Amino acid sequence: MTRAVMALAVSALAACSGGSGRAGASNDLLVVGYDREPDTLNRYATHILEDIESCVVEGLVTNDEKMNIVPLLATDVPTLANGGVRLRRDGGMDVTWKLRPGVKWHDGVPHTSADVKFTADAINKGDWKPESTDGFDRIASVDTPDSLTAIVHYKEVYAPYQLQFVRGTLPKHLLEGRDIDRAADYNRAPLGTGPYRVAEWKTGEYIALEKVSDYWRGPGYPKIKRLLFRFLANTTTRINQLKAGEVHLVALVPWDKVRELRDVPSVRLNQVVGNGYEHVTLNEKRFPPFADVRVRRALAHAIDRDLIVKTILDGLVTVVNGPIQPLSWAYEPRVATYAFDPAAARALLDSAGWAAGADGIRSRGGTRLAFTLITQAGFAIRENVAQAIQKQLKDVGVEAQVKLVDGTTISTTWFSGDFDAMLHWWQQGADPEITLFFASDRTPPAGRNINYLHDDALTALLYASDRTVDQAKRRELFARAQVRVAELVPELVLYNTAKVDAVPATLTHFTGNPTNTGPFWNVHEWEIVRP
Amino acid sequence: MRGYVARRVAQSVPLVVVVSLLVFLLIHAAPGGPLALYLDNPNVRPQDIERLRKALGLDRPLAEQYLAWLWAFVRGDWGYSYADGRPVLQRLLERLPATLELIGTSTILAVFVAVPLGVMSAVRRGFDRASTAGAIAAISLPVFWFGLLLQLVFANALGWLPSSGRTSYGGGGFGDRLAHLLLPVAVLAVVHAAAWSRYLRSSMRETLALPFIQAARARGVGETGIVLRHALRNASLPFVTVVLLDASIMASGAVVTESVFAWPGIGSLFTEALAKRDYTVLMAFLMCASVAVIVLNLAADLAVHAMDPRTRLSE
Repeated sequence: MTRAVMALAVSALAACSGGSGRAGASNDLLVVGYDREPDTLNRYATHILEDIESCVVEGLVTNDEKMNIVPLLATDVPTLANGGVRLRRDGGMDVTWKLRPGVKWHDGVPHTSADVKFTADAINKGDWKPESTDGFDRIASVDTPDSLTAIVHYKEVYAPYQLQFVRGTLPKHLLEGRDIDRAADYNRAPLGTGPYRVAEWKTGEYIALEKVSDYWRGPGYPKIKRLLFRFLANTTTRINQLKAGEVHLVALVPWDKVRELRDVPSVRLNQVVGNGYEHVTLNEKRFPPFADVRVRRALAHAIDRDLIVKTILDGLVTVVNGPIQPLSWAYEPRVATYAFDPAAARALLDSAGWAAGADGIRSRGGTRLAFTLITQAGFAIRENVAQAIQKQLKDVGVEAQVKLVDGTTISTTWFSGDFDAMLHWWQQGADPEITLFFASDRTPPAGRNINYLHDDALTALLYASDRTVDQAKRRELFARAQVRVAELVPELVLYNTAKVDAVPATLTHFTGNPTNTGPFWNVHEWEIVRP
Repeated sequence: MRGYVARRVAQSVPLVVVVSLLVFLLIHAAPGGPLALYLDNPNVRPQDIERLRKALGLDRPLAEQYLAWLWAFVRGDWGYSYADGRPVLQRLLERLPATLELIGTSTILAVFVAVPLGVMSAVRRGFDRASTAGAIAAISLPVFWFGLLLQLVFANALGWLPSSGRTSYGGGGFGDRLAHLLLPVAVLAVVHAAAWSRYLRSSMRETLALPFIQAARARGVGETGIVLRHALRNASLPFVTVVLLDASIMASGAVVTESVFAWPGIGSLFTEALAKRDYTVLMAFLMCASVAVIVLNLAADLAVHAMDPRTRLSE
């Protein structure tokens, strides 16, 4: 009796709460389950959470699901071939951006070259906290011959110039003369040119976006009227909500949750190859045995990557062999590879003078071939992969002690170089620059060469590639650099990072995105189509 | 009485300062810092990190940072969040109502469940056995797991209640708020009701064995009067103390509950701030928490004094 009353009361509650928002995705409202609340929506102040921002603020370019750089607020991507890039005799270069005519900020003010100039000047002025000034600090000045042309004068050749304004422009008429760090009106509801504007930010709960009425692509876009980003930090809660239909879309589903979503009928899993790779960094400075290339090659031979991918990762990802991913125009497949071959691994370690001791672990001159492998705690797949590597290395007489470290700690640990080996990934942008990962002079704090690799030939190739704008020539330099990296095995490359997004089965034109640009790059095209 | 309160408050001041120093040192001793987030991005270069460190004042000696913080804090300047650049006080205040709503409702509900349970267990043998088993089970429930379980049952399987959040988008009416409140409150209330009913039960048992109860029986007071008027009034003294002191445990449970149910309170703000090492927000939160614990201790003492003439202070 009491139970029946309770059930009745609860259902009555559910009824008056409007079915607790369990309507399916529609062109009226799409609910996104988001893993955290952004700190700011100013794209220049953060590198995470591009998703919400890219619905509101558009770059001069963006990159598509195949990692091609495509124009957005610019009419073309400037190149040497189309005359958009001119190399100067003094070693500098000029890049001419032609802006799309007829684009207006959401307040009706035209978007012009003055905004491009203001953006570069504001970031170089340095009186606020943009996250990175990379590239901007090489800009000497910006000229604006007319309202739709901005000529960016670089002090030196800067190969990734195409992505200089991928985060968009800052509205001059709104921000000029203001402290941008404290411009809460802009940072919490940025003025943009994109298909959506911020309608409401309810702290701790959600950000609601609504479509703008006069988007520059025409009255047909965007197709979906409102987007709601709900902050659901707890992964299990997020996935539960998706299954219950309270949220419709979850970007970047953790790999260990993919299997339980495969059979949910309202959900389609969209998978793209990511522009990042999981690997084991070998810190040569902290654990000197890694400085011997024979040891590094032996470790590479000892790991059965196919088995790890097939079992722990459920075949979600593919084995790769280097730091530049197959999606990139700079990818070079013809490099040395290290197949799973424990016998070869043992032979290499023998030849390097590491002999097995009584406990089965090799040693040389009193040093045991034993190190600590750190990885991020709470990342279920990684914990399992670390254990698999531990077991496989033990089979060839190498001891890896797994240590789990929390996410915030791990990035400072690598910055301080205070680890032997680390299982982690790098997520990269659309430009294939890898200089900061491998050049000899880019060890922390000057870069992210946390392998502490020193190779003059490789370093020369990488710096040459940074100063080459011609894509064919730059590709050639990258090919040689990748061959060299594969010979040196500075790190144990495991697999590519797949990006899996869970979207409504009724959603069309969703493509995903391999880079941090995020899957919302073409949100204006998305449409719910009832079967 | 007023003198006593003033004395207690005065005694707490040095305690709060010591706590602030300990908390400050602990936070800064934890590996990582507010800039750790930036380190993840390969395009943030060392010169950017240096620039940001200076801008946030993290390049100054630790002692200087602490004294600057303390002086500003005392004057009511709680600074700006390292993460989003907004005033810390504003960030805490906008989250406070949600947490008070959650903890307040849970406490009231838990008391209303614990009192009859505790009394019944003390006087009815048969009921006691069943309630003991139930209470032990409930006390042992991990808040985190129990929350997820309730979500699976009531939101996913039955679809009766929303699985998380405080309101529906576009909702926010009384029914909507109540529907969102039910599951997180149930999690916190069940665990605490179980524990508190055990306190009340043993306290009731002790009281019922005292001579004045027998005297009352001898005077011909009915059994209901014995239990409710004589025993419960005396037994509730330690109970009230426990409830007030447990408020801090309730608050720590709320941190977990808020994260599971995406409840927009200061608990989830704390979890976020911790992950980001948002020092200013963490310091302000922990200071408020320690002051709250001290105030609740004082409140527990005063409540007992008010209820028990034997412990009244000689003025």
